[in-house]
Amino acid sequence: MKGLYFRWVVVITVVLIIGWLADQHYEREVRPITPEVLLLNRPVGTVRVIGLVEAGSLTTTPPASPGGSLLADFELVGERARVAVHYDGPVDDNLRELKTLVVIGHLAPDGRRFEGHEFDLLPNYGFITAAYLLAFIPLGLFVFGMERRVALLYTMIKDTTVYQPEANIVE
Amino acid sequence: MSKFIVWLRAYQGWFGAAGGLCVAGGLYLGLVTSPPDAYQGEVVRIMYLHVPLAQTSLFAYATLFICSLWYLWKRDPVIDNAAHAAAGIGVFFTAAALVTGSIWAKPTWNTWWTWDPRLVSFTVLLLILIGYLMLRMFIDEPERQARFAAILAIVGGIDLPIVKFSVEWWRTLHQPLSISPRGISYAGAMLIPLAVMAVGISLLFVYMLMVRTQMLYLKQLLEAKKGRLLSRAHL
Amino acid sequence: MRFFSAIGWIVWKDLLSELRSRESLSSMLFFALAVILIFSFSFSTDEEAVRQLIAGIMWVAFGFTAMIGLGKSFAIELQHDCLEALQINPVPKGAIYLGKLLANLLFIVSVELLLLPLFVIFFNLDILAKLPVLLVIMVSGTLGLSALGTLFSALTVQIRAREVMLPILLLPMAVPVFIGAVEATRGVLGGEPFGFYRPWIDLLLVFDVIFVVVSYWVIEFVLDA
Repeated sequence: MKGLYFRWVVVITVVLIIGWLADQHYEREVRPITPEVLLLNRPVGTVRVIGLVEAGSLTTTPPASPGGSLLADFELVGERARVAVHYDGPVDDNLRELKTLVVIGHLAPDGRRFEGHEFDLLPNYGFITAAYLLAFIPLGLFVFGMERRVALLYTMIKDTTVYQPEANIVE
Repeated sequence: MSKFIVWLRAYQGWFGAAGGLCVAGGLYLGLVTSPPDAYQGEVVRIMYLHVPLAQTSLFAYATLFICSLWYLWKRDPVIDNAAHAAAGIGVFFTAAALVTGSIWAKPTWNTWWTWDPRLVSFTVLLLILIGYLMLRMFIDEPERQARFAAILAIVGGIDLPIVKFSVEWWRTLHQPLSISPRGISYAGAMLIPLAVMAVGISLLFVYMLMVRTQMLYLKQLLEAKKGRLLSRAHL
Repeated sequence: MRFFSAIGWIVWKDLLSELRSRESLSSMLFFALAVILIFSFSFSTDEEAVRQLIAGIMWVAFGFTAMIGLGKSFAIELQHDCLEALQINPVPKGAIYLGKLLANLLFIVSVELLLLPLFVIFFNLDILAKLPVLLVIMVSGTLGLSALGTLFSALTVQIRAREVMLPILLLPMAVPVFIGAVEATRGVLGGEPFGFYRPWIDLLLVFDVIFVVVSYWVIEFVLDA
């Protein structure tokens, strides 16, 4: 039994480590920040900003040649702040007014505008987390229950003796 | 104690460890290092879980089918325990495949459920397995329970391809308008975590089968030792 | 010839006992009648809905009829140790299966034939010209349900919760029967050309053949003493 519990502590630790690594990956690569956080913290380097393309603010210049880049200017609105975005990158159908987008790029040196070079869709990590948790937690409980039952049964079988009739009831 | 059971107890650790390592590796590759899909984005990571689960549930039914045929031929009670174990684990994997598939469908197809042929076939598979377990639950004599359950599993196994075929045919006639096939760009980097997870979950299935077969066998052995089974012929 | 005379005797026995007590036929008939009434209340005012759903409604009613009839098929043998008598009888078990299958087929199809005029009346259908094809569909669909249903009835007759186990086991496996029968019926009632819905009838016939053969092989394990 002790071996069983020890094994499962190891399993749960490994799972937690992987979960932590996945979360780190999410923070670094996937999670977008709001315009408010962008303007407050002024991060350097490539960041991802999420917001709504404000209606009426989008102006686009189509690419001069096929395969060239699209130029666009719009206001990206978050809950409490907004930032002016200048986009210079591949043509993307997702760029529409009133659509919530993630813009990948960097903050302009003046700290007021954002220069984006790529778009991305809303991250829906909630689904991924739900799917993995809903699959693995019952799996873990199921397998743990089975193993524990088997260990108990082995000890019980060793301890029980086969029913013996009364021997030698002789006068 | 049957020799097969002793063998299972000796070797289960290998399958469990191998399966656990592969799943851990697959999870790491799938969640941390593999790239998101060009069309679906991050959600494609659910594929690394859903596809292996679905494959393994079919594997579980195949095991059930073969063990049932073998039981009717040789009448070995340990094989019957293996069949019973495969069914129980099959229910689990089928339900998990359906749930993860549904969760994957919501962001990609914008619906929780659709009359896709594979989804319907998997639901029928789940219902057949649940029916099998209920039949076993309601029959008390071990020999008749084993025999009838084996018959049910065999008839179900013959029925499943027919169900899959007829539902597929039916859906091609009534093609829903807004469902597109799950477009995935299948970059090479995505096939590796998928393969690792598939191998890992299959190994885990074998491990679970070994453990559960022992559990069912030992339960019957304990009942026999305590004198509650009137005949030991089935052991 | 013992084989065929055994089948004949079993059909005759079931027919006689049913004609004397009329218990099975009446419960099948009245249950289906209740189903039809409820559906006609729900849908009668909506012509469009009726046209689209009538095939499905028909086969829901026929399916319920079949469930009740099949359940009773082996249950009547429980009284007076008739089941044990069947098991130890030297007649080949396949003959018992085929006899029960034919008897079930007869009963369920006769109830379905009694229900057809009710469908015409309640849902305002026009089926006179299409009657032959409709009959073929009804018989092959019912044969599919009965092939598996007779086997499962033998399987579940002596277990607890017998009445609920038969539908639970039968309905998932009978999905192809329902798909084929509903699509074929929809084709007939919708006035489509025969070639359009003929593949569904082929599906039903293939299903029937496969499962009559499989059940015939397997029944000896079930009726083993």
